[in-house]
Amino acid sequence: MAITAAPPTAPTASSAGSGTTGRQSRRNTLIGISFILPNFLGFALLTLVPVVAAFGLAFMEWDSYNPAEFVGLDNFQKMFGNDTFWIALRNTLYYGIGHVPLTLLCSLGLALVLNRKLRGVRFFRTAAFFPYVTSLVAVAVVWNMLFNPTMGPVNQLLTTLGVANPPGWTSSSDWAMPAVIITSVWRDMGYYMILFLAGLQTIPVEYYEAARVDGANAWQRFWHITLPTLRPTTFLVLILLTVGSFKVFDLIVVMTDGGPGRATLVLSQLIYREGIAQGEFGYASAISLVLFVIVLLVTVLQFRLGERRDR
Amino acid sequence: MSVVEAPTATVSLDPPSVPPVGPERHPVRTAVMYVLITVIALGVLVPFVWMVSSSLKNNNEVFTVPTQWIPRDFQWNNYVDIWSRIPMTTYLRNSLFLSLVITFLQVLTGSFAAYGFSKVRWRGRDALFVAYIATIAVPWQAYMVPQYVMLQKAGLVNTFWSLILLQAFGAFGVFLLRQYYLTIPDELCEAARIDGLSEYGIYRRIILPLSKPALASLALLTFVATWNDYMGPFIYLTSNELWTVQLGLKSFVGLFDGDYAMIMTGSVISVVPILVIFLIGQKYFIQGIATSGLKG
Amino acid sequence: MNRKALAAIGAAAALSLTLAACGSGSGNAPDDEATESGPVDLSVAVWSMDQTPEFQALFDAFEAEYPDITITPVDILADDYPEKVTTMLAGGDTTDVLTMKTLTDYSRWAGRGQLEDVTDLVTDYPDGKLAGTDGYDQDGKFFAVPYRQDFWVLYYNKALFDAAGLDYPDHVTWDEYADLAQKLTGTDAAGQKVYGTYNHVWRSVTQAIAQAQNDGDLLSGDYGFLTDQYDLNVGLQKDGYALDYSTAKTQQVSYRTMFETQATAMMPMGTWYISGILQAKKDAKSTVEWGIAPMPQVDDGDTTTTFGGPTAFAVNKAAKNKDAAKKFLAFAASLKGAEAISAIGVVPALQSDDVTAAYFALEGMPTDDLSKEAFAPDDVALEMAPSDITADVDVILNEEHDLIMVGEKSVDDGIAAMESRVKQDVLD
Repeated sequence: MAITAAPPTAPTASSAGSGTTGRQSRRNTLIGISFILPNFLGFALLTLVPVVAAFGLAFMEWDSYNPAEFVGLDNFQKMFGNDTFWIALRNTLYYGIGHVPLTLLCSLGLALVLNRKLRGVRFFRTAAFFPYVTSLVAVAVVWNMLFNPTMGPVNQLLTTLGVANPPGWTSSSDWAMPAVIITSVWRDMGYYMILFLAGLQTIPVEYYEAARVDGANAWQRFWHITLPTLRPTTFLVLILLTVGSFKVFDLIVVMTDGGPGRATLVLSQLIYREGIAQGEFGYASAISLVLFVIVLLVTVLQFRLGERRDR
Repeated sequence: MSVVEAPTATVSLDPPSVPPVGPERHPVRTAVMYVLITVIALGVLVPFVWMVSSSLKNNNEVFTVPTQWIPRDFQWNNYVDIWSRIPMTTYLRNSLFLSLVITFLQVLTGSFAAYGFSKVRWRGRDALFVAYIATIAVPWQAYMVPQYVMLQKAGLVNTFWSLILLQAFGAFGVFLLRQYYLTIPDELCEAARIDGLSEYGIYRRIILPLSKPALASLALLTFVATWNDYMGPFIYLTSNELWTVQLGLKSFVGLFDGDYAMIMTGSVISVVPILVIFLIGQKYFIQGIATSGLKG
Repeated sequence: MNRKALAAIGAAAALSLTLAACGSGSGNAPDDEATESGPVDLSVAVWSMDQTPEFQALFDAFEAEYPDITITPVDILADDYPEKVTTMLAGGDTTDVLTMKTLTDYSRWAGRGQLEDVTDLVTDYPDGKLAGTDGYDQDGKFFAVPYRQDFWVLYYNKALFDAAGLDYPDHVTWDEYADLAQKLTGTDAAGQKVYGTYNHVWRSVTQAIAQAQNDGDLLSGDYGFLTDQYDLNVGLQKDGYALDYSTAKTQQVSYRTMFETQATAMMPMGTWYISGILQAKKDAKSTVEWGIAPMPQVDDGDTTTTFGGPTAFAVNKAAKNKDAAKKFLAFAASLKGAEAISAIGVVPALQSDDVTAAYFALEGMPTDDLSKEAFAPDDVALEMAPSDITADVDVILNEEHDLIMVGEKSVDDGIAAMESRVKQDVLD
């Protein structure tokens, strides 16, 4: 297919006219492309093309069977006039704002605590990863039980702490989202802990030795060595978390199914519902395109901020 | 469009100078640490305990109000029955095959591409990289049908090929490994270039050995993701002999209700391979504080 | 960045997709007229075969009747059956027979032209009265033939009624039902809480029965007819005579567990549960002594109005073996097909005295007259009429049902919200 060849050749063409360094730069481009090519071919053909096709559908009406029909911006008009879309968008942002920083902190904390030579630390690391591999049904049932407004241990604890009206958690429109966020942080922190643990391995031990010789305490070593060296990992986790929180689906489906009412309905659920379930593929694609643009903006913003901090 | 350059610049080779401070090993602190992580570990394992407990019950005792943590009488035979009620061995074998092949390809092509995205400078690199990451953000539900139509035309539906092709070239691995390669000082590559090593040589002789923890963590996360994937195999694998464990477990769900005791039994069994991989992998992605190749 | 290149990719991809869609839509109609002789391999898409023994029973009976046709089941998980079939059909799949799980799915696939016209099988039906065909009527044409028809009855626990010294719920009104629920609530010998009744979390428990018994229309946008039924069910859980909805929903409570562990004395539920309860008793997993009674009614009297839904088979437009597929549809709806599935406790769409007699002859079935009367309701209304707005209305009704039942909205507010949202988002 001719399509797949287009993106890699584009950079080559644009770098050709840059004077004396042209040959070196072209050589580098070829080498660079040779490295990414095996992955890129598969990626472009099987992910990029369908994604772009799906975005094309955003401007069409398609029932998955009969030929698609171009409808211009109708889908977007429908979307922006529909309050369910706005509710889902708001919920998605709400979830992200809660989920991303909390998970980042918890997973980094876990990785720091479990990256030492303690007796039994292997067991604890494994335990921390378990929420991620525990069946979602079990997760939903147990957390819903913990959050049960009357019999649940969470509210019993809050009552003994003197909270007069403990929240209704998953049975209440106001508290369902916090409950979902808490559960999702609990579930994901072990996953990102792995990434941080691997990141911590790349910090050369010489740095710490030198700092220790200079008499730096643990906090100073963390602040001046661990954190800066870990920045690419932190950035990775931050982006993955952001992207993941915009796409959150499974956990919400089994835990609240978007309820009560529409209190925890998120965009990817709406996309699923409108697209594959209701057969409005054009409309679903339009929502995905909006979601994609939002994530792209946020990601580019995070890239830029990361860049500025490095200067 | 320009994207952030390697933040490695901040990692100066000179140790940061900091003011002196008191001693560091405290028995009390260690004890507190233990209490803390034990509490966390217990909290973290509660749903898993429910899973194990449910796997030892009769189906109509799984969802009770209030929750019954210890089964009335233990149904150990669930762990025997499941092998005859569904072809569990076949499902396990399929899952294992898919997970291993996809993990292998993802790590291989991912690490190769990550090198091209982090250690070789070329125009357009960063823009292409952003496109890579951005597609991670598109929910699969959005392009599932176009993708299926393509693979159906290619005649790959209902074969393992479809899933391998779909999942082995993900952008996730490229992104993950690129970020780790950024932490490897460029000075190492420069030195090797001066020594006359080709880019492929640098990749193989310097980057790969140094990025073992990252490769191990990518392998683990890819394995787990493939192993636990449900929607992909559901859409692409129709013949029963190609089904994976997750599909097999879902087959206990009927139109109006399901056999959740069996589902939990199967879930417990399906965690075992992950546990094994995790315990093996730990050796590689956690070695205590690492030494880099910087010394010599 | 090269925008032209991107634009080109986009256009090419969209084009290829459109072409692909065209191809699957109209192009590959197989010329199947020639495949009349010789052995035929018929593929049938079904859900969770292990959990749904009726399919195997039907296949065995069919193969015995037509020795030259072998059936290859395409087993699809029940949970996401419609999603998978939609995707398969989009790719031009040629599976011969498709099972229609809900009327909504049916109207969607039929509306897109993905199903073969089988009107002759319904209009020339030879064996008597076939229930549930109305739901498949698309402007006088039929694209599927029902083979089973479930409807709602009241399950009750005989032992708990006996212990409380109460008469079995013989043609009761909703008021009498609420009264019974109060009297039956208590604790059993082992200290387990026993509820008078159990309403499962589905919205049909309240809405579909109210629609059937009050001549309502869930697609109309006017929902005043739901008020009484909501008042009743909200009241029951508030007073503690029924397990509260929040707990049932968040703990994923199974209605089977509620009834089989004798945690409830009554339970409105569909007839599909009969085969489940027979199986549980056979495997000694439950000791419940059970019976079925007609659904409670609004007014006193002997006529029973309930609701239900048919299940049907349809022929894929792109099928390879259309003739054999139509033979299968006809067989599944025939007397022989009905006998095959009623033998395992499934209620066939074909209604006749023979079928009913065979059904109650099953081992473990209650044989009292009340149960038999429950099995012959006077009127079975559709749960929801299929139309192109059904799916959209369904989503809204579900969300507002949720809010009423968890107590976030009063019954009146919830119904007002249903009316305004349906009118604004769907009917406009």
